[in-house]
Amino acid sequence: MDMSREKIRGNPSLRKGLGSKTTDSTKIMEDPPAGDWLVLRSDQLLKWIDDAVYNVAESTGVREVVDRVTRPIFNYAQRFSPHPLHFGIMCCAIEMGQASAPDHDIDRLGLVYRSSPRQCDVLIVNGPVCEKLRPKLKTLYEQMPEPKWVIAMGECAISGGPYWDSYSVVAGADTFMPVDVYIPGCPVRPEALMHGFLTLQKKIREKEPGMFLRR
Amino acid sequence: MEIDALVKELKAFKGVSNVSKIRNSVIKITMEKGESKEFFTEVRDNFGFEHCSLISAIDNQPDFELVYHFSTIMGSVTVEGTDMSVMLEVHIFLERDTPTIDSISDLWGGANWHEREAFDLMGIYFIGHPDLRRVLLPEGFAGHPLRKDYVYEIHEEEW
Amino acid sequence: MAEMWISMGPQHPMTHGLWTLKVKVDGETIVDADPELGYLHRSVEKMGERRKYFMNTTLTDRLCYASSTTWTHCYVLSVEELMNVEVPERAKYIRTIMLELQRLASHLMWAGAYMPDLGHITGALYFWRDRELFLNLLEVPSGSRLLYNYIRIGGVKRDIPDGFQEKTERVLKLFEQRLEEYADLFENSTIFRMRTEDVGKFTSTQAQNLGITGPNLRGCGTEFDLRKQDSYEIYEELNWNIQTREAGPGYSDCFSRYMVRIDEMHESIRIIRSCFKKMPKGPTLASSIPIRATGEAFRRTEDPRGEALMYVVGDGSDRPYRWKIKSPMFTTISACPHYLKGYKLADIPAIMGSIDICIGETDK
Repeated sequence: MDMSREKIRGNPSLRKGLGSKTTDSTKIMEDPPAGDWLVLRSDQLLKWIDDAVYNVAESTGVREVVDRVTRPIFNYAQRFSPHPLHFGIMCCAIEMGQASAPDHDIDRLGLVYRSSPRQCDVLIVNGPVCEKLRPKLKTLYEQMPEPKWVIAMGECAISGGPYWDSYSVVAGADTFMPVDVYIPGCPVRPEALMHGFLTLQKKIREKEPGMFLRR
Repeated sequence: MEIDALVKELKAFKGVSNVSKIRNSVIKITMEKGESKEFFTEVRDNFGFEHCSLISAIDNQPDFELVYHFSTIMGSVTVEGTDMSVMLEVHIFLERDTPTIDSISDLWGGANWHEREAFDLMGIYFIGHPDLRRVLLPEGFAGHPLRKDYVYEIHEEEW
Repeated sequence: MAEMWISMGPQHPMTHGLWTLKVKVDGETIVDADPELGYLHRSVEKMGERRKYFMNTTLTDRLCYASSTTWTHCYVLSVEELMNVEVPERAKYIRTIMLELQRLASHLMWAGAYMPDLGHITGALYFWRDRELFLNLLEVPSGSRLLYNYIRIGGVKRDIPDGFQEKTERVLKLFEQRLEEYADLFENSTIFRMRTEDVGKFTSTQAQNLGITGPNLRGCGTEFDLRKQDSYEIYEELNWNIQTREAGPGYSDCFSRYMVRIDEMHESIRIIRSCFKKMPKGPTLASSIPIRATGEAFRRTEDPRGEALMYVVGDGSDRPYRWKIKSPMFTTISACPHYLKGYKLADIPAIMGSIDICIGETDK
């Protein structure tokens, strides 16, 4: 049987198990009956939510009320449970690990280290970023869902540190990603890391409103 | 065997020159490039140096220099009744236009990545190496940074 | 069965440090492995050529961050050999004490990072609580918790203060009791033994050819320790033994490599105590240290991970002409196909953890 593209596009029964080879949405499926939200495609579902829920809430003022009520609660939750990524580059990562030890115990601020970037809030850059690592770090940052923050820990992440004249170290993490908190030190003491997290809490309280209905 | 007997044997080897002893457990020699593979086979099998410690590449401005360090572990070469481990330091000089030499990664497994690093950072090509590609720098990197004529930009910031 | 490559990429909770381990699996069994390094390459050797000899101690501290004194010490020994500097006796004793304290801190760091690999997350807290004691001790003479810059060319930076010996004695007494607790918790635990025995085996002959040294080689029963075989500082005058273990005649597994390091911790405690008894009075820094050097020199020392070697070439100016660093982990990681083949995918954290990887020194 000839499995060329043209044949399959016109023959919907052959498409099962082969994946969709066209991105033209009108050719893949027929439009569902209007108003019945259980059989919508994902882009049609978003459009339905926009029409039926979001625009209505905006125009009648319900969104304002819901935001006002939930903003302190969501902001409180975001402030006191930043989940950092399990990611360590160099010496400051050892001090980050030692901060979880019983003597300093940074866990009481609500930190739970997660291994997957899709489940994290905070990315701590704790070491020099090399040319080989830069695209991977950018990918990790983009894989994290909103809202997210970046802490630049140590001199190497702020400006290149003692490796400022190296041919393979990037001059600071803020050349390719936005940084929220800078913690100086070489290496950063665990008490300084705790102070950095408290500064991040202050920043979240002032600048990042927790929104309920958000585009 | 005793270290002085080894010194005598090395002096009689073809292609070896400048045999000397440093701090009474290290032998330092200069070797010619052509005889290197037979010599290293002899070093491993007959003299008993089981461990290849380091392969360094130096850029003296007109030509390259390779320095090999080998070490005994099970004591096949001894120093007068102590149990010190003996090291052998071999210097080989290469021309600037043809920096190639036979690879010893089939004799010592530990020499594999040392040769890759010498290729990566200094540009010395090892003939017969199973997998000669960059190990420390990213793949698309152009040039060999540790050469003295490598030019790169140092980002200095204004205060 | 289908074979496929799985990439345990730079960000992974198992890999201590940033490196990629690509394994080829056939079902669940490992068939081949291909490690990839270079994510931390800071070109320390090229930067060392731009700095003067005494300024490079700040760079060598940051080579292996888990045991930074030993790398500075290796560099300082080779430069002292190049410049022909004589180190006073008291400085040698102080250096030995700092090196052994650093060895204890490094092994505790390794043990604390090894336990979560096997699933025992609380084990990390036990060992890191004790590491905190040693970091506070190391902070007393040098002023810093992790990167000391204490050992200088010609001696040490300054003398140890009064009361250091009593503090150390208190900490060592407490630590010995705790080591007995840990022996009960880990060695006598069936699950720990099941996960670490008969896993990750390699023979002593293979290890010598592949460039594996240090506790990994001593775990195969070979008596090779550079503190005796190529002695430096005052190790010759002290009375101590090389610790070896083996899982069978001439080969090692994860459990024997674990036990070797615990034995080394016991031995380090004895070495520190005998150093304090024998330490003489006197100056701690050589009276005249040259600035320029010509020639070449190398020294090798026993790092907690293996054999560290530094080769320095001077050309008559006050900066090194070429400086080459040899890291024990560089060749050990390159040999990983040999000790990973034939085991299951779930054994990888146990095996790679028992090798004690520190990526800062391999990537230079």
